Amino acid sequence: MPTIANAHNDLIHDAVLDYYGRRLATCSSDKTIKIFEVEGETHKLVETLSGHEGPVWRVAWAHPKFGTILASCSYDGKVLIWKEENGSWDQIAVHAVHSASVNSVQWAPHEYGALLLAASSDGKVSVVEFKENGTTSPVVIDAHAIGVNAASWAPATVQGDGNSQQLRRFVTGGADNLVKIWKFNNDSQTYVLEDTLEGHSDWVRDVAWSPSILLRSYIATVSQDRTCIIWSQENNQGPWKKTLLQNERFPDVLWRASWSLSGNILALSGGDNKVTLWKEDLEGKWEPAGEVQQ
Amino acid sequence: MVGYVGGDPYQSPSFGKSLSLRVDGGVNALSINPSGRDVVLASKQGLHIIDLDDPFSPPRWLRHVTPWQVADVQWSPHPAKPYWVVSTSNQKAIIWNLAKPSSNAIEHVLHKHFRAITDINFSPQHPDILATCSIDTYVHAWDLRSPQRPFYTTSGWLSGASQVKWSFNDQNVLASAHGNDVCIWDLRKGSTPLGKLVGHGSSVNSVDFNRFKRTELMTGSNDGSVKFWDYSKSCNEPIKTIRTDFPIWRGRYLPFGEGCCLMPSVGGFNSVYVASLAKRDGVEEVNDSKLQPIYAFKGHDDRVTDFVWRSRSSCGSDGCDREFQLVTWSKDCDLRLWPVPETVYEKINFNRHQQLDESIPDYEYTTYNREPEVAKPQLGSHSKRIKENFVSTSGLKSKKDVNHISWLSGVRMNYNSSPESIFKERTLQNLGEEVSSLGHKFPKVVFEKISVSTGELIITLNGPWSDNNPDEYVFLRIDVKVPPEYPSKGYPPVFSIEDNGNLSSERREYINKQLKEISDTCTASGLYCLEPCLRLLLGEKVNLEELGQNDEPLLNFEIADQLAMENLSSVPSSEDPTEYLSDSSTSESEEKEDDKVLNMGVDFDGQISRDLAFDSTPVPTECGAIWSPNGTLLCFFASEGKQDKKQQAMLRLASRDTAKHQNGYHRKGSRKNMILTENNATDSNKNLRPKRYVETIPSAANPLGKSNHVTSEEESNSDEYSDSFEDDWSDILVNDIGVRTKLPALRGRVSKTFESVNSESGKTTESKKMKNVVITKDFSHLIPDRKDLALEFRFTDAPQGELARHNALVAEKYGLEEKSHCWQILSDLLMTNEETDPYNLIWDNHPMGIKWYIKEVLSYFEKRNDVQMLAMLGAVAANTATSVLSTTNAEKLDSNHANKKMESTINFNPNENANSWRTDMLSHLSSSNGVAPSFFESNRHRPSPDEISIKSEDYFSLKHYNNTAAIAPTVSPPISNTAVSATIAHNQQNASKLPNVTIELIDDDVLTAIRQPVRSLLDPNDAVKLRFYSYQYAKLLYIWGLPMQRAELLKISFESIHKNTSDFDSHTSNDNQDLFGEIRTSWMENKYREPNFHSCNYCGLKVTRNIFLCESCEHVMHASCARDWWAQSEQCASGCGCHCTDLLKMS
Repeated sequence: MPTIANAHNDLIHDAVLDYYGRRLATCSSDKTIKIFEVEGETHKLVETLSGHEGPVWRVAWAHPKFGTILASCSYDGKVLIWKEENGSWDQIAVHAVHSASVNSVQWAPHEYGALLLAASSDGKVSVVEFKENGTTSPVVIDAHAIGVNAASWAPATVQGDGNSQQLRRFVTGGADNLVKIWKFNNDSQTYVLEDTLEGHSDWVRDVAWSPSILLRSYIATVSQDRTCIIWSQENNQGPWKKTLLQNERFPDVLWRASWSLSGNILALSGGDNKVTLWKEDLEGKWEPAGEVQQ
Repeated sequence: MVGYVGGDPYQSPSFGKSLSLRVDGGVNALSINPSGRDVVLASKQGLHIIDLDDPFSPPRWLRHVTPWQVADVQWSPHPAKPYWVVSTSNQKAIIWNLAKPSSNAIEHVLHKHFRAITDINFSPQHPDILATCSIDTYVHAWDLRSPQRPFYTTSGWLSGASQVKWSFNDQNVLASAHGNDVCIWDLRKGSTPLGKLVGHGSSVNSVDFNRFKRTELMTGSNDGSVKFWDYSKSCNEPIKTIRTDFPIWRGRYLPFGEGCCLMPSVGGFNSVYVASLAKRDGVEEVNDSKLQPIYAFKGHDDRVTDFVWRSRSSCGSDGCDREFQLVTWSKDCDLRLWPVPETVYEKINFNRHQQLDESIPDYEYTTYNREPEVAKPQLGSHSKRIKENFVSTSGLKSKKDVNHISWLSGVRMNYNSSPESIFKERTLQNLGEEVSSLGHKFPKVVFEKISVSTGELIITLNGPWSDNNPDEYVFLRIDVKVPPEYPSKGYPPVFSIEDNGNLSSERREYINKQLKEISDTCTASGLYCLEPCLRLLLGEKVNLEELGQNDEPLLNFEIADQLAMENLSSVPSSEDPTEYLSDSSTSESEEKEDDKVLNMGVDFDGQISRDLAFDSTPVPTECGAIWSPNGTLLCFFASEGKQDKKQQAMLRLASRDTAKHQNGYHRKGSRKNMILTENNATDSNKNLRPKRYVETIPSAANPLGKSNHVTSEEESNSDEYSDSFEDDWSDILVNDIGVRTKLPALRGRVSKTFESVNSESGKTTESKKMKNVVITKDFSHLIPDRKDLALEFRFTDAPQGELARHNALVAEKYGLEEKSHCWQILSDLLMTNEETDPYNLIWDNHPMGIKWYIKEVLSYFEKRNDVQMLAMLGAVAANTATSVLSTTNAEKLDSNHANKKMESTINFNPNENANSWRTDMLSHLSSSNGVAPSFFESNRHRPSPDEISIKSEDYFSLKHYNNTAAIAPTVSPPISNTAVSATIAHNQQNASKLPNVTIELIDDDVLTAIRQPVRSLLDPNDAVKLRFYSYQYAKLLYIWGLPMQRAELLKISFESIHKNTSDFDSHTSNDNQDLFGEIRTSWMENKYREPNFHSCNYCGLKVTRNIFLCESCEHVMHASCARDWWAQSEQCASGCGCHCTDLLKMS
């Protein structure tokens, strides 16, 4: 269990391990991204990436089949794409379609290609595909009026009715207290609103679509209203069922939700500087599974 | 952007006017659309298409980045192909189709020259014919209907060719310049020149045929002379020579009248000269004379590289009333349009109203400046382009490659058609210049739309127009309509402000009135008025009296350029976020204040100065937990949290009652941490925690506190606490250091710290540095999917019972009782099944049988969200089927039983046909089961019934006859007690031919089981799900670094389930590439590398081996097809007219 202290000169906003768990990327208000190599108990700082002009909110590793590629988003409204080649990191692309802070960035399931989802405080989400020939074709959608705080892809699925079309979806959470589900429309080549989920009474801070593909789809949303809602949908269709993770409110605002790789455990973190873990029991109730305090 | 919509050359705003366009980027060649609407400029970056009728809209850019300078570009002169442009790219010539999207506009690539092409010329007669010449001395003539190879080739042998031109009148004649000489070629005469014009003392740069006199042409050379020849008379003596004191780069006949236009390559005042060739009465014809220009187009600062003529005529195709305009391109990066004075027409004997002998083709007056609308981007087409890496260009759209404002500042047009004056004086000439100067002057004003030609502008800005608060800025969107006569008197622009909730109607009327006043005052004296209007909108006081007298030109390009360097231009729309970042509001004075505030409070270097009132960025997360793929939880914390809490508590004791105001702000140096709240605070107070990032930036938070209602609802109480909150904050600031030093340093539950920061040292300086920490926690015990299990679980290479037993032991070893039991039961069930009795198959379907068990287990583990178990169970269960089939022993036994069962129920009444039918059946059975017929003879337990039954498949087909057949139910000796039998006397229509058959339908589990000789333990629906689970599990295996297991799993489970569920074949097989290929290889189609013989010219099929390839016409056939074809024909099968076999005979 390596611990890295004071990696940055300012607050850390995200820390993500890559696919194999060997590289750690952290980003901070000090406008930099740091890459660590993690080997068992040891870690080594290998690179500090600077290029953003504001605090860097989140980072995301692309699937290794695309190479060692990292996307980062920042208050400066840009998403930068970084690539490691022969040990040196370079900024290889700028995705700059947003006019305000980009709050979250996530790569799509690798089956879809190098597809990046970015959510911004300008009220838009953008999906940009980095094609092999170097071109990009950003799709920009007006998602939430005041600002989009988070967006998350659904796992790659095959629809049950024998249709070979992949159901390509993502979820966004915004400052309008809403959670919206978007679906790729093949005919118009864009993403259309599939569902709007109302349940929170304050800004939705993070949304996380469970990677689990068993039985049903789960989405965890956390909000400034100190609640976490688990939304579930059977067989990728029909209405979304709302379940409060726990009936009483959390002691402080919730900032972040994260599912484990197969969707077994949900990790929540918030303003109380504490991480709580949750899992679903056989009756479909959510029970605490652990706690981490710094 | 809706541009100029005239569509008529007589509405062109630029014809007959002087116009200057600045185009940077090393443009070297120029050509014009025959309709006169567009010009194409070619550079190393590609082609730029400029609409001369809407010079204010930026050019369309067709990217083609090469290291080679483009030697020549030509627009097809034929109305049949108005979208074709040919350009050179070193030794290749590229045919562009402008009707296609810019990313995919290359129609053909002509590649037969060995070295750089110097000139291209479209045939004036035929739209598909063009000629190229190169410094490799060759001249090729191409037919674009078969662009693989030139249809005519010749060479000057001794020196490279610099120019090639077709004769205007004779479609077989062309001329090329080789060194000092010019060769005249006739296509029909091969590579023997018709004539060789010898006489120039230096290399010839230019050749041009006379439009009207069939055999005359003119040549221009570095020796400073232009010679006029008539090759039908003499090839050594020119009929006329004009000498100049500069080397000639281009010398061409005028397209009208009798004259020529000369252009120096060096010197000559960078002008283009017009000389008359008209014979004048009373003047003796001199064969050798000095240049006496009748007109010079002078004004470029550097040498002119090319010129073209733009023409229009009002009365259709008979050519009366033709007008011309010269278009020049110079090394000074200016594209200029020059009106031709009426005097020139006279001097060259050109009567504009004279009828032409030949009609001019009717060119469609359209522009190719706009990107064509494409419904769907064709993915495959990109492959033609050069392959690039994963990502190389940014997300910016290509149409914004040219900054609109900078482009506008390069456009200057003059309405009074005085060519000399306009290029020198820098005064505002038109709306475009006004807008571009405004764009540079007011970087915070965003021009959402600029359409100079239609006079439409959409401007957005923030002005101090709030009713409640003079300091608050209101976002305004203003639509401006500018009449074409602007700024003459009586034509003021019309402003309309979009409806906006933040702007009261009174205010709006006031603004509208003011704007109208200003614009009327200005236009009354013919002045441009947008600047004062903008100033008013931005909140400045505008003095109307001063405006009237203000005759100072607004344009200041020097400043504008400087500003452009700082990237503050206001390109419309959302392409470049820096504009948005800088569009915060205000005029210069307030902007400074803003900057000060920001620089003081935020360490953003002042680069980010967005409108903070509208910034809805949420407060950043300070702590978080993210699962990593390998099951560990990665947590990061702001490690001062605890400290601050204590600190806060102490402060609270010391200072006034601040318990309700837990929103402490903490600033020290560059840090701006939000102090964390107390856990025991009341609910209502919790919501007071700021949401927006800007509110946590200390100095910015204060002024914004008042305008917060824009975005948040429960801000009503924020005002009341903000005062005391400020006090708290200053308290914190004052007490901060003192308190901090007294506090013990942080000591978390951190197991190991790698930095030197050690809590034990207790040194406050170090603890202050401790700002954040990232720790990983292993929570893999919470996750059912385990790597250790993955390593030991087996699912192949053994009978399934053993596999299950093995897995049960593995699970037991790791203390996983549940899983162990599950495997054990499965093992027991499978073991009993392994006895090779087909009757066991029946039990699979029993309500308490193995199928039921597996279904239950699967649904249980689905609930447990245990992908590993699901995938393993699926693999083992599916493996059952494969193992039965693959182990030879099992196969024999199994199929034995199946066949025995079937055979045993087949019997026939003695009949002559019986044997044949029987053999049919036998072969059928043997082929379907892969078992030799000998099994039928040596069966062990055969129940010898008298009835005739038929194997399951036929059994089904015979069901259809039930209606017509006479059914005679009998009770037969039952095979099993539960079986219900029916004997059918089967009388078919053609009963005479068939044996008298008695068919017994046995509704039997055994038969049902036999019908599926492959045992399936899985429900087909489950199988589909399991396939997907095992795919998911394969991902896990990949992450765990177990590629072998992954491959095995994917192979086995996929194959077998695939077999079991043939119903699902259609989509499983489609998906499998996508889903299972971690890495896909994609082939890039490269059309130009492939030779052109794709398919046989005879049979049309693809050719592979043994081909016949004609060396002359390059058409190809299969060897066998060629044999057939040449037996009966002499000409090539493609119809190209080539006698391919003649070549063979020669050799």
